[in-house]
Amino acid sequence: MNITQLPIIKEIYGFLGRDLTAAVTGILIILVFVPLNSAFLVWLERKVAGHIQLRPGPMEVGPHGILQTLIDAVKLMGKEMITPKLADKFLFWLAPIIIIIPAIVCFVVIPFSPMMQVREMNVGILLIFSFSSLTVLSILMGGWASNNKYALIGAVRAVAQNVAYEIPLLLSTMSIIIMTNSFKMSEITAAQSGVWFIFYQPVAAIIFFISTTAETNRAPFDLVEAESELVSGFHTEYTGMRFALFFLAEYTNMFIAASMGAVLFFGGWHGPFFPGLIWFMVKVYILIFVIIWVRWTFPRLRFDQLMNFAWKFMIPAALLNLMVTAVLLKVL
Amino acid sequence: MPTEERKKLLGELKNSLSGALPEERIISGDYAKTGCHLEVRLSDAGMLRVASVMKEKRFYLETITAVDFPDSFELVYFYSTWHQDFCRLVARIRISKEASPRSVSSVYPEAIWLEREIYDFFGIRFLDHPDLRRILNPDNADYFPLLKSFGKTKLTEEIDDILC
Amino acid sequence: MLNIKTIDDTTINERVYQLNLGPQHPSTHGVLHLLMKLDGEVVVEAEPIVGYSHRGHEKMAENRIWEQFLPNTSRIDYLSGLIYNHGYCMAVEKLCGIEVPERAEYIRVITSELNRISSHLLGIMAFVMDIGAFTPFLYGWDDREHVLDLLERVAGSRLTYCYNRFGGVRNDIDREFCDGTRRFIDRLRGRFSDYHNLITENIIFIKRTRGIGIITEDTALDFGVTGPTLRGSGVGYDVRKNEPYSVYPEFDFEIPVRKEGDVMARYQVRMAEMEQSMNIIEQALDGLPQGPIRSKVPLFIDPPAGDCYFAFESARGAVGYYIVSDGTRIPYRIKVRTPSFSNLFVLTRILPGNFIADCIATLGSIDVVVPEIDR
Repeated sequence: MNITQLPIIKEIYGFLGRDLTAAVTGILIILVFVPLNSAFLVWLERKVAGHIQLRPGPMEVGPHGILQTLIDAVKLMGKEMITPKLADKFLFWLAPIIIIIPAIVCFVVIPFSPMMQVREMNVGILLIFSFSSLTVLSILMGGWASNNKYALIGAVRAVAQNVAYEIPLLLSTMSIIIMTNSFKMSEITAAQSGVWFIFYQPVAAIIFFISTTAETNRAPFDLVEAESELVSGFHTEYTGMRFALFFLAEYTNMFIAASMGAVLFFGGWHGPFFPGLIWFMVKVYILIFVIIWVRWTFPRLRFDQLMNFAWKFMIPAALLNLMVTAVLLKVL
Repeated sequence: MPTEERKKLLGELKNSLSGALPEERIISGDYAKTGCHLEVRLSDAGMLRVASVMKEKRFYLETITAVDFPDSFELVYFYSTWHQDFCRLVARIRISKEASPRSVSSVYPEAIWLEREIYDFFGIRFLDHPDLRRILNPDNADYFPLLKSFGKTKLTEEIDDILC
Repeated sequence: MLNIKTIDDTTINERVYQLNLGPQHPSTHGVLHLLMKLDGEVVVEAEPIVGYSHRGHEKMAENRIWEQFLPNTSRIDYLSGLIYNHGYCMAVEKLCGIEVPERAEYIRVITSELNRISSHLLGIMAFVMDIGAFTPFLYGWDDREHVLDLLERVAGSRLTYCYNRFGGVRNDIDREFCDGTRRFIDRLRGRFSDYHNLITENIIFIKRTRGIGIITEDTALDFGVTGPTLRGSGVGYDVRKNEPYSVYPEFDFEIPVRKEGDVMARYQVRMAEMEQSMNIIEQALDGLPQGPIRSKVPLFIDPPAGDCYFAFESARGAVGYYIVSDGTRIPYRIKVRTPSFSNLFVLTRILPGNFIADCIATLGSIDVVVPEIDR
């Protein structure tokens, strides 16, 4: 039975119009999905890390500790939110709020399945890029407002790092966009019904993967919060729910990065037998697993090595890849 | 252990030390008992000269320490070598309780910390020391813990009585 | 009120700023305080400030009898407590002229070398964690756990041992300990390939450690650097070989030396030293003589008046006990030369000009134990 045939749904449609209903429903689903997904990812990370390190990971709360994050979140909610005396109070308060906005907005254009996309946009990819750039603003605000040297160094590192790695990220995405002639996430997915783009664009895929790892500040590029150098970087002074928001944003950004990877290179929701949603989620979680795996295997780069890697290797490689793609498309 | 080479090294060392310090007493130590091959008893000025001779011979400054005797302090300098034929030299100097000995930190930078430690625990002020501050004890402490006069309580004296 | 003097505030202009690394900081291994002047991320000046865990062991020694100082020795350097135990006993035995049965010396060497392995495992893995790899840390912890189990079996405690006695050791080792030790050595040998895959051959690790924090031979001489830190700078000085004590001359082992003097060299020296320690343990287990484990020693010892210096090699370098006795049951003075004290002071020379990240790596590679510095 089609759900849209229900009288109550028809009534709501008549009152709000189809678009607005879809948007409101979608936003509500996202608002529920984002924290739940983060909670699951935190648990997954701890579990994977545990098994990599020959230990079981969280085991106490719920079966195999699945409710651990929930308990942690409750604990964090109960914590006092301390604002340092010499901090810039307004910016200190604003930073965690700003960091959560891009994390939620980016979900609007992600195609979970042929039907499940809150809003189809002509510039879907650009929207994700532009909003995820906001993250770095929030990190800078948080680091600056904390009035703490570790936080400031972390924030400055974050800005330099994100600016550097956004360029190869865009360039590698651009080579896909040249192939599909579209910024629409759904059209890019549709173009991969036969062959996934990773087989056409392996170099772009590798560059994309490295850049997103750096953009989301994950190891081995986690210099922003390198705990052995900077204690915990830009959120050193944050406590309670404010800290939790930074945490939430980190894992949500990871999900967004992985879903972009799935859409751009792994055919999005395409796959045999199962519905699109399942295929999409499986691909995303496999990518996230790889990101986690990398984090718990590699040491951290040094800051100048990180920048050299971006400017002297990644950007030229991405440019070259883009040029070759363009020439080949023109010739063929 | 190449004893022949050790003998040669000790002889050389004695020669250069007695060249630098004609007036000091240089005696062979009993290694089996004291752990030192050579012992030098110094008067006040000899410390720096011994240090420069030892530096020339590529000995490293193992440690400096002080011992609080009832009427005087004894500063003890241990030098030893990385050579295969191992050799340790101890230089001792008796100073009065108020004396300010010369620092050897211009020859061995390591002595900066070692002498700071001695100042910290015994209150011995070294001359020409670049940075004579407290090191392990709090900066504003007004006591010197390793002096024998420090920390004698009734309890510790009772224990002393029982045991000695 | 603790009024800590700092690097002169007046010399700080707008470009250079101060950073207090520690005393509460994830990578200072205890309570070390590094006061750094930074220009951006480059260190201009670094000054270690120590003394946060000063307990006055040398003063304590003057207030208790010779035997009562035994437990203190393993608390000076809590990571190689048995080696300090061993050294203190040997120093006092030298002063009093106490003979030690051969079996006891063999047991002392076995336990000391096991302790050295556990200390090196922790040192290396904590250093790797400072560089950012968390997983090897727990692998090393896993291996270290086996050493601690073995030592707990024979010494009764896992970290702050008091196992050696004047004239011997407290407990005899049994068959199960010997078998367990052999099993552990086989296991650790197998684990080394894992470590080399995960750490030594990792490109990021190599990039982070090659050519960083170089200590030259001359700098080492100036600052009295010893131990693996010195052997990473091309000097093959090891007290066990150069000034043999205990039964070390009977074993066939090498002193690993690296010429480079950088962080990587020190790491490699430590790795190689663990293998040598395993060799020593195997030889000692093979040649373990029968006999008593403790010679007849009076309940309270009365050393003759006099002094002696005794040097031995801990996991961090040459340790020395300078013991002055006035012929009573209470030591007149015990001075401990701790290697970390000298090794840490080198940082003032080698840190300037490096990045913060390199400072952390250098500090980790020197492997200081702060309570050993503070005593």
